[in-house]
Amino acid sequence: PVTTESIVVPYGHVVGNEKWRGSEVAQRLQGKVRLIFEDGLGLVDFHLSNRTCILLISEADLVAGDEFKRRLVRFRNASSLKGIVIVEKTQISDQYYSGVQKLVVLELGMVLLPVANQGEASQLIIQLVSFCVREQSRDRGANPFLRKQRAQLAEPAVLQAVQHIPGVGKTKALLLLQQFGSIHRLCNTSINELEQVVGQTVAQQIYTF
Amino acid sequence: DHSPSPCILADTREISSGPAVLSCLRAVHGLRVQVCSLGSSDYIVSNRLAVDRVLQSELQSPGNRNKLSQRLRHLQGIFERICVIVETDRVRPGETSRLFQQTQFYDGVLSALVQAGIRILFSSCQEETAALLKDLALLELRKDAAIQVPTEPEGHQRDILNFYLSIPNLSYGAALNLCHSFGSITAVANSSVPVLAAGARLSRPQAEELHRFLRHQFDLQLLPQALPAKGK
Repeated sequence: PVTTESIVVPYGHVVGNEKWRGSEVAQRLQGKVRLIFEDGLGLVDFHLSNRTCILLISEADLVAGDEFKRRLVRFRNASSLKGIVIVEKTQISDQYYSGVQKLVVLELGMVLLPVANQGEASQLIIQLVSFCVREQSRDRGANPFLRKQRAQLAEPAVLQAVQHIPGVGKTKALLLLQQFGSIHRLCNTSINELEQVVGQTVAQQIYTF
Repeated sequence: DHSPSPCILADTREISSGPAVLSCLRAVHGLRVQVCSLGSSDYIVSNRLAVDRVLQSELQSPGNRNKLSQRLRHLQGIFERICVIVETDRVRPGETSRLFQQTQFYDGVLSALVQAGIRILFSSCQEETAALLKDLALLELRKDAAIQVPTEPEGHQRDILNFYLSIPNLSYGAALNLCHSFGSITAVANSSVPVLAAGARLSRPQAEELHRFLRHQFDLQLLPQALPAKGK
């Protein structure tokens, strides 16, 4: 069955596909995160939150052929969840990696992260879970890569921009802005008005710029 | 009219830090590569996508995280899409290749990037990085986001470009588009938000920000006093 719908993941838990029970990944996750096993998760291996899930591709999957590709495409077509693909990139499966990356990231637009073995996979999942939890608790400040919306004063930048007009340095830029207020207004000022603030030559330069 | 090979803008720093990437892009993939002083990112692949090339070792050291996160947050203000290419460090002659250990810190950085919606690609060498950049550029070309204006303005146009480049959160590509789509700065200043968005190939919020900036009423009182001398 192709089950790809969102499921309810209790806060701070991970819901794992029954098929991983007893595996190395599961054993390493237990104790670090609250892991629940469920049947019928279909294509998904682990649900980290109501919106994020993981598909795990083993070294064996990679070597065995294209079956895993069909699985990824089916998931992508059927699900609106954010899918993170974790792939076991070993010396043996390394040669397939760039092809998989092209498919997953460039064609399917999903996230792909390589690990060397199941141990590393579990460690990575733990980190991903911790960021999912922080996102749900709206603790966005914890992510150093998320842009914080902060209003910045435009004054220094406006002054900088005006100084790019030939013949205008800091002093003249300040004079012009005090007189005309904005770049928009400055652009729509007649040469006569400009001459009253700066000299004739510079007024001409500004006007033609 | 679509030019067959898309154009990539590369930052001048890449001449020294990624020479094989640049030569590969040109020689192997036949792309138009314009080296310019981007400052913000290592590569600009389309009107909306910036790419930063990061060495794997840089992601592993906590000392670098601040610098990287500042850089990427800055990029998020300028570009709709950001991609990081994580490149395996080169093994210098005489150095035995150390087994890469995926630390908890490294996993944390990757998780944070994923959650921030930053695309991540992995590359084993500069040549592969070039191939990935080419793939990204072709993808963006297919989605009609490629940079398709002349990338080397001259003379007066050069001065106008520098004026546009001084506008905060405006990308190099958008500045080139402004040069190309509008006859003068006055034409830009008098344009509505939708006209700016179409002419500069900007998203609606970005065009609004540009529109606001051009009409911003300057207030001397709000200028920070005694700006520290730069470069000292």
